[in-house]
Amino acid sequence: MASVLGISGLYHDAAAALVIDGTIIAAMQQERFSRVKHDRALPKDAALSCLRFAGIAPEALDAVIYYEQPFQKLERVLVSTLRGFPQSFRQFPRAMRAQLADKLWVLDAISETLNVPRRRVRAVGHHESHAASAFFPSPYERAAVLTLDGVGEDTTTALWFGNGNTLTPIASTAWPQSLGLFYAAMTAWSGFEVLEGECKLMGLAAFGQPIHREELGRVLLLHETGEFELTLSFFDRFTDTELGFGKRLEQLLGERRDPLIPWDLTTPRDQHYANVAATVQCITEEAVLGLARRASRETGACNLCLAGGIALNAVANARLAKESGFDRIFVQPAAGDAGGALGAAILGSIALGDRRPSAMTSAALGLTASASDTVDLCKHLGLSARRVSDPAESAASLLSENKVVGFVQGRFEFGPRALGHRSIIASPETIAIRDRINSVVKQREPFRPFAPAILADSCSQYFDTEPSDMTAFMTTVASVHASVPTPIDAVLHCDGTARIQTVTADAASGLEAVLRARVRRGEAPILLNTSLNGRNEPIVGSAIDAILFFLAHRVDALIVEDVLVERQT
Amino acid sequence: MNTILKFGHRLHTTLQLLGYFASRQRFFLFPLMVVLLLGGLLLILTGGLSYVAPFVYTLF
Repeated sequence: MASVLGISGLYHDAAAALVIDGTIIAAMQQERFSRVKHDRALPKDAALSCLRFAGIAPEALDAVIYYEQPFQKLERVLVSTLRGFPQSFRQFPRAMRAQLADKLWVLDAISETLNVPRRRVRAVGHHESHAASAFFPSPYERAAVLTLDGVGEDTTTALWFGNGNTLTPIASTAWPQSLGLFYAAMTAWSGFEVLEGECKLMGLAAFGQPIHREELGRVLLLHETGEFELTLSFFDRFTDTELGFGKRLEQLLGERRDPLIPWDLTTPRDQHYANVAATVQCITEEAVLGLARRASRETGACNLCLAGGIALNAVANARLAKESGFDRIFVQPAAGDAGGALGAAILGSIALGDRRPSAMTSAALGLTASASDTVDLCKHLGLSARRVSDPAESAASLLSENKVVGFVQGRFEFGPRALGHRSIIASPETIAIRDRINSVVKQREPFRPFAPAILADSCSQYFDTEPSDMTAFMTTVASVHASVPTPIDAVLHCDGTARIQTVTADAASGLEAVLRARVRRGEAPILLNTSLNGRNEPIVGSAIDAILFFLAHRVDALIVEDVLVERQT
Repeated sequence: MNTILKFGHRLHTTLQLLGYFASRQRFFLFPLMVVLLLGGLLLILTGGLSYVAPFVYTLF
């Protein structure tokens, strides 16, 4: 019977998660409070919000677990920069400043910030946290677990076997052999920002052909054993950690795309970047597939859990589901570093004798938005707000009029996906509405796709898949049938696939009610769902964030719990 | 939280770090860590680079 707080932070996507008596009580990212996207700061606000939500004081915590071993990390940074001398000469002061200024002392800082005795604060491994965040909230008793990211302390890829309350390490790959490094470097080469642009690269891939296999096959070698090998001379990890790729990669593929030039996929220049993106996607899928097949061979498990930044590649996950040989696959919705906080908390809880958590059915682990705050703020700002008796019916009515609606219901989500609690929703029928949201509301690249949210029991009417452990959290894609009951052009990728979310009342009751209301009105049980945020902004958390979003972005209406805010024309 | 307690935490962590390097037989990292940590301590105690800069220039 223990209360354990997990913390991730000081790199990117800082978060806190609270587990009490083996139950996941809350999990929140710091960016939702600080309003700094991918905020790396020690997540004091998120941690205190988790504790306030549970109604416990920091002194009552039995343990606080940080998601990474600071000494091991420092050792790796020191040894790899010394090995890389003299190329690493310029990076050394920056790396040391980062390590010695805060990362080395992070356990002390957590103790002092939260006012928890230092002896109760400890650390677990980065990939162990990832593996725990994937396996323990999964619905499986036994599973192979793959963790794939840029780098933890020293490990970049790890295979585990999860069985009941235990996780056993099977194999690992050490830095700098890293799929995350490869994907991040290609993201930067394509003119996108690392950590922000990986999903853009994945979206861009759908517009190209994988015709650069020969060139990229020299950069990332795939062995028949399932292992991969980077040719390190193409990467410049010592002198330019922002970009990661070296001059030799530019000699192979051409110059890095200028991020300031607007995208136009009808030009040969941008088509080249799309073709490279398609090849990067293809080769990444094959690398992950090789690792998954090896995981199947070595563990004999029927189920697979995935975590780490690479696990957010929904297209690769779909290919795994089809070709890896596993019966079921689970990807925890906060598969990136934020999820490390959850894994750390669960590891701490199990170490103190608690059971593992029950299967995660919803990502809504944050705070609620206050309807009364919304009314007060709207009154203060002179906005037109009114209480409605049936918010789902109001939303469905607005969608029928082709309106774009900000939709805030219940607790905000944990992880990068908006799953109906902090979403922008719209009718999925026409390309025009996708283009409007891309250009006017989200102000982002025109090729960026949107995702469909569909009632779980209607999924097979539109897509070639049944609801699965991944579709509930939008971590896979599915192909649309050649003939569907109603057009859904706004949510389809150009290759006829979509990153689907199957909606149930358990996972997102508010969104499910809107879909049911649409069915009652004789409309399709599907809608466009994208995150409630603008360009380079974190997803909305509180009612105040929602109103600020409404003021800054041209959505037609905003629904916060039972408060409808409409734009006055 | 008082400064002495914070200093105690840092000292404890420093000793744990040196113990960790010793357990890993990374003895070659000791001198580097000692210089870096003393440099850091000097910066903290003097309140910033402006006081330390003349010594840094003399040393290097």
